[in-house]
Amino acid sequence: MTWLRTPPEAKPDAHAAEAADQDAAARDGLGAAPEGHRDAAGPATTPGPTGLSLGVAGWLRWFWRQLTSMRTALILLFLLAAGSIPGSLLPQVGTNPVSVSQYYSSHPVLARILGGLGLFNVFGAPWFAAIYILLFTSLVGCVLPRTLRLVGSARQPPPRAPGNLSRLPFAVSYATPLAPDAALNSAAKALSAKRFRMRTGPGWVAAEKGYLREVGNLLFHIALLGLLVSIGLGGLFGYKADRLLVNGTSFANTVTALDEFHPGRLVGPDNLQPFTVALDHFSASYVTSGALLGQPAAFNAQIRYSASPTDRMHSYDLTVNHPLIVDGARVFLIGHGYAPEFRITDGTGRVVFDGAVPFIPVETSGLVSEGAIKVPDANPQGLGFVGVFLPSAIDVGGRLESYFPAPDNPMVSLVSYAGNLGMNSGPSQSVYSLDTAGLHELAVSPKPLAVGQSIKLPNGLGRLTYTGYQQWVSLQITYDPGQTPALWSGIAVLAGLLLSFMVRRRRVFVRASTDEAGNTIVDLGGLTRSDAAGGFEEEFAGLAAEISGLHEAQIDASRSTDTDTGEAAQPGPEPHVPPGPQASVPPDPERPVPPDPEQSVPSGPEQSAGE
Amino acid sequence: MPVNTGLADISNDFLLTAVVIYALAMLAYACDFAYGKKKLPALRAATASAVAEVEPAHDVAALVGAKPAAAGAAPPAAGAPPAAGGSGTASGGIGASGVSAGQGAGGVIKGVPRRESVGRWVTIAVVLTSLGLAAHVSGVVLRGLSVHRLPWGDMYEFVTALTCVAVAFFLAVMIRYRAYYLGLFVMAAVVLVLGLAETVIYTPAGPLVPALQSYWLAIHVTAMTLATGVFFVAAVIGIAYLFVDRHARRVAAGRPTGSDGILRRLPGPEVLDRLAYRTVVFGFPIWTFGVMAGAIWADRAWGSYWSWDPTETWAFITWVVYACFLHARATAGWRGRRAAYIQLAGFACLLFNVLVISLVVPGLHSYAGLT
Amino acid sequence: MLRLPHFASRVVGAAVPLPRRAAAGALVAAAVVLGAAACGAGATAQDTAVGNGSSFVTGSYGTTVFSLGSRPEAPAVAGTTLTGSKFRLSADRGSVVVMNFWGSWCTPCREEAPALGALARYFAGTDVRFIGVDIRDDPPSAEAFMRTFRIGYPSLNDPNDLIALDFSGTVPPAGIPTTLVIDRSGHVAARIVGQASYSGLKALIKQAKAERG
Repeated sequence: MTWLRTPPEAKPDAHAAEAADQDAAARDGLGAAPEGHRDAAGPATTPGPTGLSLGVAGWLRWFWRQLTSMRTALILLFLLAAGSIPGSLLPQVGTNPVSVSQYYSSHPVLARILGGLGLFNVFGAPWFAAIYILLFTSLVGCVLPRTLRLVGSARQPPPRAPGNLSRLPFAVSYATPLAPDAALNSAAKALSAKRFRMRTGPGWVAAEKGYLREVGNLLFHIALLGLLVSIGLGGLFGYKADRLLVNGTSFANTVTALDEFHPGRLVGPDNLQPFTVALDHFSASYVTSGALLGQPAAFNAQIRYSASPTDRMHSYDLTVNHPLIVDGARVFLIGHGYAPEFRITDGTGRVVFDGAVPFIPVETSGLVSEGAIKVPDANPQGLGFVGVFLPSAIDVGGRLESYFPAPDNPMVSLVSYAGNLGMNSGPSQSVYSLDTAGLHELAVSPKPLAVGQSIKLPNGLGRLTYTGYQQWVSLQITYDPGQTPALWSGIAVLAGLLLSFMVRRRRVFVRASTDEAGNTIVDLGGLTRSDAAGGFEEEFAGLAAEISGLHEAQIDASRSTDTDTGEAAQPGPEPHVPPGPQASVPPDPERPVPPDPEQSVPSGPEQSAGE
Repeated sequence: MPVNTGLADISNDFLLTAVVIYALAMLAYACDFAYGKKKLPALRAATASAVAEVEPAHDVAALVGAKPAAAGAAPPAAGAPPAAGGSGTASGGIGASGVSAGQGAGGVIKGVPRRESVGRWVTIAVVLTSLGLAAHVSGVVLRGLSVHRLPWGDMYEFVTALTCVAVAFFLAVMIRYRAYYLGLFVMAAVVLVLGLAETVIYTPAGPLVPALQSYWLAIHVTAMTLATGVFFVAAVIGIAYLFVDRHARRVAAGRPTGSDGILRRLPGPEVLDRLAYRTVVFGFPIWTFGVMAGAIWADRAWGSYWSWDPTETWAFITWVVYACFLHARATAGWRGRRAAYIQLAGFACLLFNVLVISLVVPGLHSYAGLT
Repeated sequence: MLRLPHFASRVVGAAVPLPRRAAAGALVAAAVVLGAAACGAGATAQDTAVGNGSSFVTGSYGTTVFSLGSRPEAPAVAGTTLTGSKFRLSADRGSVVVMNFWGSWCTPCREEAPALGALARYFAGTDVRFIGVDIRDDPPSAEAFMRTFRIGYPSLNDPNDLIALDFSGTVPPAGIPTTLVIDRSGHVAARIVGQASYSGLKALIKQAKAERG
């Protein structure tokens, strides 16, 4: 077998146009631009029938073509990214409403401008929704026609082999003693064994592979749509709620029991799962030595829960990363803190308050916490207290600090007020802060109290006793029916992405013909998408090696059967000889080319000395 | 389990050693530019007396065309048109050294370039890079052993791990695609970043906060580390592309190009563009998977799979910008330089996320370990 | 870029060349329109009731009146009042029961408390029974509240939300305060979410009272 470069024959130019057509057909669907994606740069729709104006239909068509063009997709993607930036840098009402109101108070003018633009609620703003809705409309407008086109082209056979395979970007040519049909058959078998889609014709074989790429591409984009739908499902039918639960107490999943309730659009108070959770024991451990002293090491909440009032209570260990799943809703352990307990008697001597008051941690190294105690119904005057709780209190140069987050030395320090707490009318107040507008501070020094100690209020207003402390956990309750569909959509997104990146559309053509000297010339040609990630070089080289190897094997096999017929043993031709000066032995003109395709006669230049 | 500070110290030593070895490798790559071979070794077929072999499939996997990294701009032999950094053919044949198939090269398949051998300096540089990588991996592994968990739980560990991934990925790319010219730039970036990690953002070894104690750490942060390492290499290639492209345009316009010794030894812009694209294509699914794994973990830990936390949002922005890049390469008028800008913008978003958001902006992701 | 033919202005809707910016503007306008529609449809959960740190939920305000024949049945509520006596809702079959969910820490509850106390005194001696359900309160605070506002009717302390849970399948209290008017047959005739007014609640009670059986 020899490797030749010369084209199979010098085709007359009359065939040039046909060859060009075949070339175009060969490249059809594999051209530079992705199929079906116009760039909307060229002139688009034709004007209306009279040419005077587009008319409504024309405008709509023009608009649709602009919308579903690749460049619009680019711009919308960029806008989506850019629009998310303020949502990450400015406080958002959905996640951090307190910060938003702080922003308003510290930058009043700027905050009003930003708020007017919807920048404090970016991800719920109409303009953000417009961006992703347009993007997904553009996506649908692209995906549907491409799906139809894929189905259509998958039904069609591969295109015919072009006339001149050497013009393809990957090409190789060699001569073989095999007859053309035998060579083509074995080549076709090799290709179809690799699951190429085949089409044969006189003297050529066309093979195509890689439709999975487009399948993957479409799967990816459709799965993105599915993701959007799943998110919408959650937004309509799901809800999120928060509840702070003191050790030793329990709560039921009703609106009156929740601290915060963010329902989806179609969720009402009667849609909540009726479970109950009781906190039996909460423990937290911290790093006790080393550079990371005080960092939390583990949280554990032992709870009991029941799925409904008629259900019995089950035990459960609630930890971070390990939520409780009950009746489709999930309960997460988010945080923890301390709730000091107080007993307060008023001026008449009656006990007017006796319970735990949750304080909110304001720093993490020692869990110093702040809170307020409100006793609006004390006699003769309403009482209010504001202060801090220090789990491991220590006096550092006159300032009270907490050196460790565990309750080694739990103390409180309170400022006392009396008067009108302003709770009988007006807007609702936070339970963690005191509105001192109608109150006057009492002249009693805020000395820190240890457990059991009390403050005697002046003017016979009463007494506060710090009786102990409890720990609390903050729980987040979520229900999202779109969660599982979102997961499956995400998996489909990834699968589509991998498919579309790893598979490439490629076409391989084989031509076998007889040249003037009677040798069979086998041409192999291949092409792939221009923006493919590459790697086709190896595949083509491998195919070439394999097919040429097959042809060699065929020759060897038929030669071994030929030895029975008594033909002189001829050494197999050298596999690859450069047709350089030392190798250009023309075929023996006296040796006829046998018409029988089954006989393989070496017509290569390498003739043994014994010939 | 208590932290093994002895192992942590040895880990630091290994990482510092890695930085030093990488710096030496960087010098070796630079020496290759300065003193490397100027000529291609002659193509074998032109002088061979015997048989030229068909390359078995695994030998022809070179992306670089007839311009090897170790040589100057010498045209390939056998009269084939110079590769000029790109293909003359219509749809993506890489390099044109194969055009001469049969005319004198023999055994060469059109479109599939041959492999050339490399010079001495490149060999030294690759050996040094591998040694440095071994030290780097040891450092990362020892850190993990000292804290009894996967060693990417805080910013310092994340940076050391991602640079390790970047070097390993770059080593694979470099050898497979013969892209030795990238060595200087990738090593320079790695040395810089790793040096910063050891000095500015160093965090002592310690256990993880409870919120991070989950097997999802292995999945999510590993994926993000891998993807960041890969995008790191892509960004370096992108910057090299911009310089080479500017140089090529200047040459084409006939304008003076200034001192361009290094630039002339790099392959043409199309090659770098293709390489950057393939790198991003490799990293994008990993990033997608990492974001999804993070969403699943967030769902288990914080109750909702997407809460527009700043780090989540910027990971999303990064994803969208890289998606922009992939779309841009398929859009006429947006290939080449504009696409490279988009790719670099994507990496800038990634850096912003890692360096600024997780340190400065409060959110659920504040686990940098820095006070 | 699209260029349309340019004709004399007398043609209505004459086509003019469309510069690129106008195309972008058209896209933006369409985007805003679609976005507004999207906001109405609501793809994301909106906050209709935000706690914002005030530790209770104000719920969806308003009065709901259930017409005869389509009234949900009130569950079997039972408990111990703050003074220690037992209460069973079923024992009050035949009377009109006004059930008010409140807490001493809740400002709207304090604002409506005088009205409730006055109404209880108004209907004293008739077959209208007032009962309170105290949420998230300690007993001393609740008793102090009742002293302040001179609430004469008893309240059940519900620290574990069991009573609210009983209502969850039918007419749940959608926030604090919520007032339910339960008719003589034990069905919920009306629900007020939010602060109740003297005249409004009085009318509802009178309507239920007027019904027989």
